[in-house]
Amino acid sequence: MSLFRVSSSPHLYREDTTRVLMLDVLIALIPALIWAIYQFGWRVLTVCALSMASAVLFEYLFNKLAHKKNTIGDCSALVTGLLFAFSLPASAGFAIVVLGTFFAIVVVKGLFGGLGKNIVNPALAARVFVFISFPAELTRYTDPGLRLGFFESLSADAVSSATPLAVLKNGTMPSESALNLLFGSLPGSLGEVSALLLLAGGLYLAIRRVIDIRIPLSVLATVAVFSYFLPVKGLDNVQFMLAELLSGGLMLGAIFMATDYVTSPATKLGRVIYGIGIGLITMFIRYFGGYPEGVSFAILIMNLFVYYLDRYTKAKPFGQKGAPKHAA
Amino acid sequence: MAFTFKGGVHPREWKLTERSPIAKLPASAHLEVPLQQHIGAPAAALVQKGEGVKLGQVIADNANALCCPVHAPVSGTITGITTRMDASGRMIEYIGIDNDFADTLSETVLPHTRPILETSAEEIIARIRAAGISGMGGAGFPAYAKLSSAIESGVDKLIVNACECEPYLTADHRLLLEHPDAVVGGIQILMRALDLADATIAIEDNKRDAAILLRSVIQNDLIRVHLLQTKYPQGDERQIVFAVTGRQIPAGKLPKDAGCVIFNAATCAAIYDAFVTGLPLVSRIVTVSGDCVKKPSNVRVPIGTAFKDVIEFCGGYSAEPDKLIAGGPMMGVCQWDDNAVVTKTTSGILALSKVPHREADVCVHCGKCALACPMYLEPLYLAAYARIGQYERCKDFDVFSCVECGSCAHVCPGGVPLVQYIRTAKVKLKELAAAKK
Repeated sequence: MSLFRVSSSPHLYREDTTRVLMLDVLIALIPALIWAIYQFGWRVLTVCALSMASAVLFEYLFNKLAHKKNTIGDCSALVTGLLFAFSLPASAGFAIVVLGTFFAIVVVKGLFGGLGKNIVNPALAARVFVFISFPAELTRYTDPGLRLGFFESLSADAVSSATPLAVLKNGTMPSESALNLLFGSLPGSLGEVSALLLLAGGLYLAIRRVIDIRIPLSVLATVAVFSYFLPVKGLDNVQFMLAELLSGGLMLGAIFMATDYVTSPATKLGRVIYGIGIGLITMFIRYFGGYPEGVSFAILIMNLFVYYLDRYTKAKPFGQKGAPKHAA
Repeated sequence: MAFTFKGGVHPREWKLTERSPIAKLPASAHLEVPLQQHIGAPAAALVQKGEGVKLGQVIADNANALCCPVHAPVSGTITGITTRMDASGRMIEYIGIDNDFADTLSETVLPHTRPILETSAEEIIARIRAAGISGMGGAGFPAYAKLSSAIESGVDKLIVNACECEPYLTADHRLLLEHPDAVVGGIQILMRALDLADATIAIEDNKRDAAILLRSVIQNDLIRVHLLQTKYPQGDERQIVFAVTGRQIPAGKLPKDAGCVIFNAATCAAIYDAFVTGLPLVSRIVTVSGDCVKKPSNVRVPIGTAFKDVIEFCGGYSAEPDKLIAGGPMMGVCQWDDNAVVTKTTSGILALSKVPHREADVCVHCGKCALACPMYLEPLYLAAYARIGQYERCKDFDVFSCVECGSCAHVCPGGVPLVQYIRTAKVKLKELAAAKK
């Protein structure tokens, strides 16, 4: 009779593997994707598909060249690809999409050791990389309703519209009502416009326990408190707060980017501090920075503190002096 | 509201044998009785090859150390003493006995005849030791030693562990349903020895039927039945003390350091038997389960019976198992073949098929392990440092507080063998400490 397998306990595992969690994130992004197609036309689908396909391809090629195990099965490259596409305007050039995913998958993730080893969020780092490299092309936001065909590019004379954040930066209220901002009828990056659908996706992930609600809540709460008490001079604080919360990349960032497992803290307290940090830096950049939007930078900066947040917010072990005394 | 602790996990329960009454396994023709079934020094054989033994006769003991005597589970002839490696890698002596199927009872098997209230603590401790009773929940600490150190340190709380938080296992549950009087009787003996007026039976709320039955058997309010939330590892001594009393056992210390003493429900029943029938611990209830067993059942098995005989009794394998486990699926120990034998601590025998492929050993830093850890540790960093051999850093992350319950590895989506890394770190750190001396 053959021998049985011998391994360390436990011998019973939960069924949600990394792949299941990643697929859940993709599912949560679908409503916002459908809305983006409706708003900006079929080109959205082309950009997203290209981004995801090239991300997976780069992951495959990198693993091959680096003689590593093929890891495309964990679906994390798909998530990176889709999140990166979400942060681009629908009119973004295809070459930029591919360049961005190369940066995300190879430079930010692969060279640092692959999934779980990267220090900053690959999709966000790629976003910042392409926005700094191609500012003119990537800030030509079109009005919603100007729908582009699958491979149609933006004509040279197309009018680009100011995003609500750019308007806010100038010290005036955007023309869109808070309701429009919530539903997503506004110019902006293709996946960031519908705050409501992103929130719905976040709710799905929270219910499925894929993400820890502490992170998005502390980010959003910090931004809300900050903008309510310190509105730009002359603006109504409730109106201002809603505009700050609902526009730009805040929802996408708070719900989908800041909650990236690899680059967010593992402790509960660490997550709250991390979220507050993102909220504060975001508002700081929005107020004083050179860019209208600060979420990406804020998350990237807080990514760097994750190890220390984990280390110094570590609870005392059960039974040691100072261990948390929770009434169950 | 049900009481519990913080952290932990909710594995699928798989209590397939909840409704199957305890069957009695007829003793096999040959048994191999291990001499180390408890924490402490191994027992030394008192019999020789060819000698005849009677059921309940002491066949091994070591009076000068922390040790439980071992008794013959059947009557018959000693076939010899062999040394084999057990699944933990320890070399252990086994006494082989050929069963003569006469079940001739040893003259030493005599019931305790005086009322328990007129029996001194010393007498109770002596009888528990003579009956070879060690903790039957898993660790196997000699019950007499636990009891006497609890008396010495003056504990004020007797907790009876009937949680059975491991999935699959139902041995204690069936015991409570079929012999609640034995468990309660054992508790009363312990209360007498500890000179305590009350005791608490802690039981998970997935066994309400047993809790209700216990309450009806007890009929006084001195022994309370305390319902705890069904959550793994509720039956761990630290978690159970916390859930029942709100006290935290100091790190690296024992329940008595928090004024508590814990006995497993099966241990209580064994103590009762030792007083009422005089029979020492020569058999125990084992849950035989898993998807590769034809008829999952609860079986009373003589100590020293080979796993294959037990599985044969349960209809044999329905499919070739991938793993054969002694104990529960969360903390049980893998056996490489089914010649392994049932010991005093074998609460279950599980034959499990291969689990579907998991992406192995990639930590995505999701933190689910930290949320699941009942000891408030960060298993992800323990594993990360152990992986690269920086064991000293594991110490900064309190590796020695880990109780190896397996909650972290259970929830890990990346399939990181966290417990294995942690065990490696502990062993290496102990080696380093020993080398320094």
